[in-house]
Amino acid sequence: MDPSKSAVRLTVVSNRARPGHDAPFAAYDLGLAHDEMFGQDGLPRSHAKDLYDTLCTLPVAELERRQQTCERSFLHQGITFTVYGDEQATEKIIPTDLLPRIVPGAEWDKLERGLKQRIVALNAFLKDVYNDGKILNDGVVPRDLVYGSKHYLRQMRGVSVPLDAYVNVCGTDIIRREDGTFVVLEDNLRVPSGVSYMLANREVAKRAFRDLYRGYGVRPIEHYGQELLATLKALAAGFRDEPRICLLTPGIFNSAYYEHAFLARQMGVELVEGRDLFVHDNVVYMRTTAGVKRVDVIYRRIDDDFIDPLAFRHDSALGVPGLMNAYRAGNVVVANALGTGVADDKAVYSYVPDIIRYYLNEEPLLDIVETYRCREPKALSHALENLDSLVVKAVGESGGYGMLVGPQASAAEREAFRAKLKSDPDNYIAQPTIQLSTAPCFVHGGVEARHVDLRPYILHGADTRLVPGALTRVALKRGSLVVNSSQGGGSKDTWVLP
Amino acid sequence: MFYSIRHVTRYRYDAPVRESVMQLYKQPKSDGAQRLQAFQVTTHPRATLQAYTDYLGNAVYHFDVPGAHNELVVEIEAAVEVHAQPAPPEWVDSSAWQVLGSSDVQAENFDMLRPHGLTQPSEALRDFLDERNLIKADDPMTSLRRLNRTIFDAFTYVQDETEVDSPIDVALKKRKGVCQDFAHIMLVVARGWGIPARYVSGYLYTKRDGGDRSAPDATHAWIEALVPGAGWVGFDPTNNVLAGERHIRVAIGRDYNDVPPARGVFKGPANSELAVAVTVTPAQAPRRRDDFLRVVRPMPKRAERPAAPSVHAQQQQQQ
Repeated sequence: MDPSKSAVRLTVVSNRARPGHDAPFAAYDLGLAHDEMFGQDGLPRSHAKDLYDTLCTLPVAELERRQQTCERSFLHQGITFTVYGDEQATEKIIPTDLLPRIVPGAEWDKLERGLKQRIVALNAFLKDVYNDGKILNDGVVPRDLVYGSKHYLRQMRGVSVPLDAYVNVCGTDIIRREDGTFVVLEDNLRVPSGVSYMLANREVAKRAFRDLYRGYGVRPIEHYGQELLATLKALAAGFRDEPRICLLTPGIFNSAYYEHAFLARQMGVELVEGRDLFVHDNVVYMRTTAGVKRVDVIYRRIDDDFIDPLAFRHDSALGVPGLMNAYRAGNVVVANALGTGVADDKAVYSYVPDIIRYYLNEEPLLDIVETYRCREPKALSHALENLDSLVVKAVGESGGYGMLVGPQASAAEREAFRAKLKSDPDNYIAQPTIQLSTAPCFVHGGVEARHVDLRPYILHGADTRLVPGALTRVALKRGSLVVNSSQGGGSKDTWVLP
Repeated sequence: MFYSIRHVTRYRYDAPVRESVMQLYKQPKSDGAQRLQAFQVTTHPRATLQAYTDYLGNAVYHFDVPGAHNELVVEIEAAVEVHAQPAPPEWVDSSAWQVLGSSDVQAENFDMLRPHGLTQPSEALRDFLDERNLIKADDPMTSLRRLNRTIFDAFTYVQDETEVDSPIDVALKKRKGVCQDFAHIMLVVARGWGIPARYVSGYLYTKRDGGDRSAPDATHAWIEALVPGAGWVGFDPTNNVLAGERHIRVAIGRDYNDVPPARGVFKGPANSELAVAVTVTPAQAPRRRDDFLRVVRPMPKRAERPAAPSVHAQQQQQQ
């Protein structure tokens, strides 16, 4: 045996940083959760090995420099997010983490099939509950869950929706269970946001790890804007070859305004506010510097309630009076359709596997998290007895508002929530606390494990498509399981491998 | 009975407004004992009327006025025939309660069995029911008749004490109100008893000397409740009568806000004044506006046309 070779091998082994022991992974906690980089043996997973090796060889100062470049880039582009409920509703840079999260190609392909199946079924569900209500008559989903939902819009009954595609843009939150399988945490079928961060993260991560990015052959996502545009165009195919499309934003005070402007630019469509549009004789028009133009498709980023003060909230100053009339008459396409929120209600969520079986006659490809519907007395008492271990969520809320993370809440918070739960059980569901998977993040001058989820964006119209990528949201507080950007979470790039 | 109805709504603004968009629940229904013979909407400034049928089967008209205007007048004229119907039974079998509890009835009448919007149960209502010792009787019909009378007895008809869309507590505390308040209160109680009940917006041909309290120059509101064996029965707690030949139905909803006679939005920093005139007069026979029409150029034969909903047809005939 050649002693020099043996010495080299030994050096490599001893230089191999172990999570929890050696720099830069000294503070890396491998907990109960599935880790995206390390296996249970503490060794890097095969798909993560190149990233791992890079991190072991780069000086920390260099990582810091790259992280700062990232942040500066976000600041210059104005990629910000408003946090509500904060004392001073502040606009913050959405924290971005330098290190990409890597998803092996085979895992992604399986996930993609599951997501497509899900959105097709949810669209069938929406068509049904706004028309014949067969699934309700057959008792598969309780009628009061649908008709009693505050997101069920009676104005949408019998309204024909182009291509029967109600949800055109869906952001589904996926988490990994302790055993490493992907499960759906929630569907966002109303006005899902965050896709601009997916794209912005890609820009910075690609630059920060140029060679690594090339070496991995990461699947591209940069065409998302064009895919979205094609999806929106196809919705108007029935009546317009070259439809005029606009993106309707609530305005500059909306937390996702940056994204609205970004997407409008990516697609080359007008960014408009409610006051820029008006309805005359059931047709929607846009005021432009070049005069008044007819609008065919509205990609709206305004909630249902606010979109038309004549039809919905009368006090809304953001919307377009008469829009619902033009929509009902089939003179304009609104994407997503109105009333889609009834299908992403957290109580309906627990029925999605049944919904998939009912409409598609297939077994669900993606699992959901075990869910206790507090409307059922047995489930309610289980929830009340186990508040310290469960996550409890209000069924109609999103963005991490109105929820209790039992294990992390104080006794006082739990008691306050117990009272809410008792007084209005129908409004809540409970789920076991899942240790979301962890991924390496660059924090405090080292690489630490932080909990992450995954939000891919699915487009649905004439067909169903998604770019191979997602927003990976990060709970930046050590040990925290709440990743919502409205709750101070950050994000990072997601690399889907070939 | 034939009725001729004229309903004028006038909005005045103290500064020019623009982009008025308005919707109307004003076309009398043409079903059951009631037939709509003629209907016409005129607006000033002139506008193109659009129409659709909402999910409850009501005809909704809407229009917009884009240019600047200081006044908006909507005038409707309708000719309606209402047939006399056999009186509903005095009472029904007590087994009717079981029928109401059946899953079919529950499923078909989901919206009309639950609190919604202005029809929310309240502490004040519970107190009122206790004070009047009002509980379910042996059968739904008897219960509803008692409820109708109790509301009539307990409240004074006074205009301007409440708004059209006041919560029921305002009327309950004052023991005063108008037809919308009484209808909302009756809906909450009936639904609380498990009887499907819906709000009815319409007109009443008033007979003041006959004991009516309703103002003659206004729209009217009452309720309909589903009584097994009798179908949907109209109760008018404002006047302590069952809805009959003098009640002209326009729209049904869960509450007032589902079917306001007119609702609109406009742009411009202006205050507005609303004036309304309603007249309901008995007529010998419907006015036949088209008597003089003579077809001088017959419609050319065409390939099959998609059937338009009746409301559209109606509107096109009238314009």
